[in-house]
Amino acid sequence: MKKHVLIATTLALSSAMSYGAGYQLNLQGLRQIAMGGSGTAVPWDMSTIFYNPGGMTAMDHWQIYAGAAFVTPHTKYVESTGTYEAETQSQTFVPFSIYAGGPTSWRSPVSIGVGIYTPFGNGVKWDDNWRGRYVSQEANLHTVFIQPTVSYKFSEVVSAGIGLIYATGRMELRRAVPIADENNVDSRVELAGNGHGFGFNAGVHINASEKVQVGFNFRSKVNMDVDRGYASFTVPQSLQTAFPYTAFSSSLPMPMVTSLGVGYAVNECLTLQGDINIVGWSAFDNLDINYENNTPQLQDQSSVRNYRNTVSVRVGGHYTVSDRVAVMAGAAYDPTPVRDGYVTPELPDANRGILSAGLTYKPFERWTVMGALEFASSVNRQSSFDEGGFSGRYKTNAFVPAIGASFDF
Amino acid sequence: MKKLYIFCLAVSGLAACKPKLEPEKPEAGQLQLSRYLAVGSSFTAGFSDGTLTKTGQNFSFPNMLAEQFGLVGGGEFKQPLLPGDNGYPNPKLVLAARRGPCDTNTSITAVRYTGALDSSNSSNSVAIGGPYNNTGIPGIRAVDYIKSGYASEPSGNRFARRFFANLGARPIDEVTRVNSTFFSLWIGSEDVLGYATGGGKESAIQLSGVTEFAAAYDSVVTNLVKKGAKGVAMNIPDITSMPFFTTIPGKFVNLTRRQADDLNATNTMTFVRFNEGANYPVIQDGADLRLLVEGEMVLLSLPMDSVKCAGWGTKKPIPGNYVLTLAEIAAAQKATDDFNVIINTVNKAKNIATVDMFGYFKTIQSGVAFNGISYNANFINGSFFSLDGIHPSARGYALVANAIIREINLFYGAKISSVDANKFPGVKFP
Repeated sequence: MKKHVLIATTLALSSAMSYGAGYQLNLQGLRQIAMGGSGTAVPWDMSTIFYNPGGMTAMDHWQIYAGAAFVTPHTKYVESTGTYEAETQSQTFVPFSIYAGGPTSWRSPVSIGVGIYTPFGNGVKWDDNWRGRYVSQEANLHTVFIQPTVSYKFSEVVSAGIGLIYATGRMELRRAVPIADENNVDSRVELAGNGHGFGFNAGVHINASEKVQVGFNFRSKVNMDVDRGYASFTVPQSLQTAFPYTAFSSSLPMPMVTSLGVGYAVNECLTLQGDINIVGWSAFDNLDINYENNTPQLQDQSSVRNYRNTVSVRVGGHYTVSDRVAVMAGAAYDPTPVRDGYVTPELPDANRGILSAGLTYKPFERWTVMGALEFASSVNRQSSFDEGGFSGRYKTNAFVPAIGASFDF
Repeated sequence: MKKLYIFCLAVSGLAACKPKLEPEKPEAGQLQLSRYLAVGSSFTAGFSDGTLTKTGQNFSFPNMLAEQFGLVGGGEFKQPLLPGDNGYPNPKLVLAARRGPCDTNTSITAVRYTGALDSSNSSNSVAIGGPYNNTGIPGIRAVDYIKSGYASEPSGNRFARRFFANLGARPIDEVTRVNSTFFSLWIGSEDVLGYATGGGKESAIQLSGVTEFAAAYDSVVTNLVKKGAKGVAMNIPDITSMPFFTTIPGKFVNLTRRQADDLNATNTMTFVRFNEGANYPVIQDGADLRLLVEGEMVLLSLPMDSVKCAGWGTKKPIPGNYVLTLAEIAAAQKATDDFNVIINTVNKAKNIATVDMFGYFKTIQSGVAFNGISYNANFINGSFFSLDGIHPSARGYALVANAIIREINLFYGAKISSVDANKFPGVKFP
């Protein structure tokens, strides 16, 4: 029984995403989405609170900004040789971002603002009876970061900003447990908990020349600590005392991201920009679940994740068509942090390519509405989750339409 | 680029942009799998939970193999199915929450199914529906394959009698009525198991002789390959990798201070002094009474009621048929090793694939994970073995089938896909 349960719950909190590499979302600004997710160098609008707080002083007025993306990932699993295939159920997730900020007074070197955004998250839902049901049936992670931010303009060339991050989130996992009742119905476990953590986001913005801007940003790791999640087991009657309804604690790292970006104004209309992001995924080395009520059958668990750091590359172009209209396009390469042997159906991750485009339109002087569309596709990965003895091939595609609007004061 | 997106969205909807991914097509390689024949004993028949049932037959590893072969040119796979699901001839073992007559707590234990039994038709001959592709006969030893009249009345094997067209025939002649293009052969286990499960020298069935075994095994394989069939053959697992022999610890007699004192005060067996805590039981070894020693095995068949109510192991010796002594264990293991040498040598000479089940059962003992389930050799909870502690569960048989498929793929350059163990039921809890 012990082993049974070990496997049943060890795999529990391996997180939940199938869109960005790892469980990162790069959807915090409309123009940036449209430009492959790049945005560290050029402060296009108040979304720079996320991409580079140092760029906030480039805005000489207050702005409120809101956007949302509609992520509909599709993952397909096939066995390596044979006929079996399974697809995730269609679900749409809506990561959003809201920013408000501006100078403390007219021509002040100090700008303040706040950003509320969802940098990590998403979810996977497989059919309840699929082959991998003892590894995962459903997994969800939602996070919201709240970031009050201040930025200071040291000179016409250099600005720097820093924001504190308060992160709150929720994780939910559900899967079958290979203990059957007399009617051969599987047992199951559901884990759900709210977590929170703290971090910071700091950036420097440099106007290197008339044409060149450089940005450097560091967003710290945030440990999402789940202090009192609840685990609920549905098991045959004779085992109910062995699997009590119990609280659990766990922790999931939201990795640090170091970004370096360059923007180049080709001419008055066209700006090209590019980013390199170093993501500190190696922070996700183990996943531990500590149950408050242990029984001989229900022990605490530790599962090795062994993620590796990644470097992603993002490029984009912004073309101003007229006073009212601008168009954008971009591309990115986002490699996976998940090593071979650790690929779970909760996070069927693989290196992925991204293509994107978008447009902005100013119907009125102070209003801007924005739309973007992104397509992400992973390589077809032959992979295994050795701890659970689960292997096969996965491929994920996601379409991400996004809309947003900003208002300038 | 945007045009492309709009095209994709508008013309064919999101569905067209779903990931396109196909599994690799299975291939038979050099194998011709149109007529697959399974030859063997209880493992091949699908024996599980201490009996044979229709469901067990359908969850036999040969039936699972046949299904995978079906994807690469395999043909019909006929089994001599029983009419019912409650067990033939004994009722199946099921898990139940029970309190024994001398227990104070209920516990979950394996007990014989007590509901209505299957129709008496179970013993009727189904030979008319043959010849069968799964000829697994529970209880048959390798040495029995070349014995004429093995299935004949009155002492003949009742499983063989169910489907043999000619009861007087040698089993090897009867089972090869299917003119196979490919066969699986797993015999020899019963040449050891009958002895071991019966308590060694106390058993009605003794270990097969090495010379006799060699002659029989060679004859069986020769018969199977004589028309050019290719095949895969399994060797014999070690008894110490089965929970039937390993579940009850040597020092299983647990006593309180008071119980130990009482026993010591009244005991006439002067060589025994019981202590508080875990004690070795007293056993009958031939004419001698003695204490069990470390390394000796108490069999899962030991009636725990007798231990608790009648003082077996403390006031009375445990009969020798529930114990394997060190000498008996050594004899069983030596026979296993000797037979496996013969199996490997003959297989090699006849150029058929060999699956090292001896090694694979050891692997199970140390634990493996497959499709999210971890398997080990623990009784009830290890997932691999059924409630009899010797034969695999349906999921265990799926793992066995996969071990065989791996070897077939390797030996014959085929790409047969593995069996999804999760399709099959696990141990059911009340």
